[in-house]
Amino acid sequence: MKAVTLTVNGVSKTLTVEPRRLLADVLRHDFGCYGVHFGCSHGACGCCTVHVNGEPRLSCLAFAAQCDGMDIVTIEGMAAGDTLHPLQQAFIAEHGLQCGYCTPGFIMALAPFIERADEPTDEEIRQAMSGNICRCTGYHSIVASVRRAIAARKEGADA
Amino acid sequence: MPSRAAEQPRYVGARITRLEDPRLITGQARYIDDLALPGMMHVRLVRSELAHAKIVSVDTSALQDVFSHALVFTGADTGSLGIRAVADLPGVQSFTQPLLAQGRVRFVGEAIAAVLTDDPYAAEDAAERVFVDYEPLPVLADVEAATATDAPRLFDAWRNNLFVEQTRKGGDIDAARSQARHIVRRTYRNQRQAGVPMECRGVIATLDSTGRILSVWSSTQIPHLLRTYLAEELKWPENQVQVIAPEVGGGFGVKGHVFGEEVLAAWLAIRTRRPVKWIEDRREHLIASIHAREHIHTLEAYVSAEGKVLGLKADITADVGAYSVWPFTAGSDPGMVAKVMPGPYDLAAYEATYRAVATNKCPLGTYRGVGRPAAVFSQERLMDEIAIELDIDPFELRERNLIQKFPYKNVLGYTYDEGSYAQSMKKVRELLAPDIARARNPERPEIRTGVGIALFLEQTAHGTPDFIRRRSPIETGYESAKVEMHPDGKVTVDTGVQCHGQGHETTFAQLVADQLGIAPQDVIVRHGNTVTSPYSVGTWGSRGITLGGGAAHRAAGILRGKLIAIAAQHLQTKPETIELADHHARIAGDASRAIPISSLARWAQRNVENLPAGMEPGLVAISFVDGPPDGSYTNAVHAAVVDIDMTTGGIKLTRFVVVEDCGTIVNPMIVDGQVRGGVVQGIGSALWEHFIYDKDGQPLTTNFADYLMPNAPSLPDIEVHHIETPSAVTPLGMKGLGEGGAIGPAAAIANAISNALGVAIQETPITPNRVWDLIKSKQSSQPQAT
Repeated sequence: MKAVTLTVNGVSKTLTVEPRRLLADVLRHDFGCYGVHFGCSHGACGCCTVHVNGEPRLSCLAFAAQCDGMDIVTIEGMAAGDTLHPLQQAFIAEHGLQCGYCTPGFIMALAPFIERADEPTDEEIRQAMSGNICRCTGYHSIVASVRRAIAARKEGADA
Repeated sequence: MPSRAAEQPRYVGARITRLEDPRLITGQARYIDDLALPGMMHVRLVRSELAHAKIVSVDTSALQDVFSHALVFTGADTGSLGIRAVADLPGVQSFTQPLLAQGRVRFVGEAIAAVLTDDPYAAEDAAERVFVDYEPLPVLADVEAATATDAPRLFDAWRNNLFVEQTRKGGDIDAARSQARHIVRRTYRNQRQAGVPMECRGVIATLDSTGRILSVWSSTQIPHLLRTYLAEELKWPENQVQVIAPEVGGGFGVKGHVFGEEVLAAWLAIRTRRPVKWIEDRREHLIASIHAREHIHTLEAYVSAEGKVLGLKADITADVGAYSVWPFTAGSDPGMVAKVMPGPYDLAAYEATYRAVATNKCPLGTYRGVGRPAAVFSQERLMDEIAIELDIDPFELRERNLIQKFPYKNVLGYTYDEGSYAQSMKKVRELLAPDIARARNPERPEIRTGVGIALFLEQTAHGTPDFIRRRSPIETGYESAKVEMHPDGKVTVDTGVQCHGQGHETTFAQLVADQLGIAPQDVIVRHGNTVTSPYSVGTWGSRGITLGGGAAHRAAGILRGKLIAIAAQHLQTKPETIELADHHARIAGDASRAIPISSLARWAQRNVENLPAGMEPGLVAISFVDGPPDGSYTNAVHAAVVDIDMTTGGIKLTRFVVVEDCGTIVNPMIVDGQVRGGVVQGIGSALWEHFIYDKDGQPLTTNFADYLMPNAPSLPDIEVHHIETPSAVTPLGMKGLGEGGAIGPAAAIANAISNALGVAIQETPITPNRVWDLIKSKQSSQPQAT
């Protein structure tokens, strides 16, 4: 067993975990972040994506014990109070989700992209989500959601 | 027919963002694996490592040494319990799929033992300490092996390895053959694949402390059917069984079956008196849930000199794996092909023989489109081949054969309601004009462009007679909804049409809001819960909005009548003059005389002295809507444009166009989403997805690195165009559309690639390797220039 301290969505806890315990399981069961979903458990679908020290990471391929002292954000930490993250708003406006199971992973994977992309081509947008699988939407509306979120960010910056 | 809402609809037809999205987008939705009960045990299944074997022994003695609290159960405990899925057709052979193997296993992944501990990690460890001793048996790895004359029997008592073999026919096929100028015969194959939702299956079961109420949570599309099956199989009174589908992360037909694991979890909860939870992992899902497709079709078309198809003969074989699935049975996929092969064409004669062959693979079940993607692939490839053989433009050939007048009774006796077959093809032809021109005049010699189309029908919302004909355990095809207005004027809709991404919480609310003069935001739609909703056969068959939504529309119509009657008395006017809109009942054209809906709702339940004499208190209504006997037929044309790299065999899908007609559209945003999602699944069928087994029946595609799901960079945008031809046989003229997107792509893409290469594609998936081989074989068959 190993003692680890994680900060998840601003809340710090020190836990004693088995070294083999997956980060995703700790986030779900010890921090109550059930928006972290297992899609494949072998790092191929992106459903479990979270931010570790600001970078998208697959929580099914990371052990909690590897993340001692790290700052983690999950889908539950993306809204600012009652205001949804621009990408969350865009997904609703563009019907970027259906069953919703893969959605948290897409939001977490794409959030940094919409911060840095300025005039991305469709190809660049699609490449940015190449590590995530969605079985419902066919991706078309997710591409539209990303475009909308970037436009909203730029509008906000202009204002 | 139900009365339409008196006013113009405000919400039906509107692009309204989804009411269910806020919980999904914030991580607050709760799927099966997010639920827990105090004292819960976690189940890990020990699964067969061999495709066909006798089980000599299951040794569990090493387990309790390490895991003293672990429980283990084998087939000796569960005995004859299983999945019994038999169609009552002549000659059908059947066998019950046991919950846990009974001395023999018939596919890799078949459950042999269940190990329970209080922690899922420990359950996996414990399961590894169960040792199975196998005696291998000859493996029937494919249809050829299973139908060989000396093939061993998969089931000892069977005559051969066929679950079912049937023939369907109409018209005079011999006359068609003798009148034909051309006979075009082709064989087509497609591959084994599946729906593969992003959330795997899972189930939690518990018995209450009194030992009476069995509660089951399952990631299912069919909660009521699961309840009935559990009650019958476990001999438990059905009023003491409750099934709840929590948030469900996609289904696509896979979760439209009752699985052994669901029955096993319920049995374990009863046996152990502990809550039990089983969550499938991805490998289990890919080898041991439900597969689909894997057909061989041989078609023979009898064609006149003018290109009219006079008759069609079809021989349809499906490799359906080791067991029959409930409720659709082993014959469902090939049987559907035999039923729908005539498609949108005016055929005078048709004969189809279909068979379901048992092999040592994962059982075959339903997946979006059920048989239709395979049927349309073969039929629409064949139409292009006929066009080439007769040197007729493929649009023109189809034009000569398309059904033009409605209603139309087809060669098997099915009646098609109004559609827009010719109109939708004309529209696609216009849209494709630039691509067709580009295909004829390539800019670069190493890149060949091809254009392909596929026309098809989607039989949707079929009623009970369609299911009676199948004689399978599905039995019926109605849907239901209960609508209740509360004293404050807000509304709850309860329906058994389980929603796992289709947006019912929004579209049903739109339908109800229009009836009651309120807003969709005033309506909460609850689903997937047998405790709250009337009986339902669940979400499958492109029937949710037409029948479930239709039932909500009708039940709300009953409440509407009551609200109007109360308002008419208070406004001292005739009911016909009352309209419900903007949260008020008012006299049409006189805004000054209006009563808030919330007042009427309160009077009906709290101040009933205000009701007209003799009116019963309360504002609850239930409606059951059966589908039209032959269903309602959505039509569509799919078109694909591809660029083939002749130096590598590389395939680039550059454009995909859909023109579809699903009758009255309730929410165009959701319709587009359903179509596009389906299309991309169909593209996966055409190009990538394939469950591969080796000759020993070992699955080689057991993760997402080997089983290739469509991903974003490999896909174009999907253009969707609509034509709206309301049905005369359904509520509000709605037709189903959930499956259609997945039906056409394999055919359209295969036609486009064939067009580009000048070589016939006869098999999916169409991989670069296959294309490369075709390019090479064509080059070697052509005389070399000297």
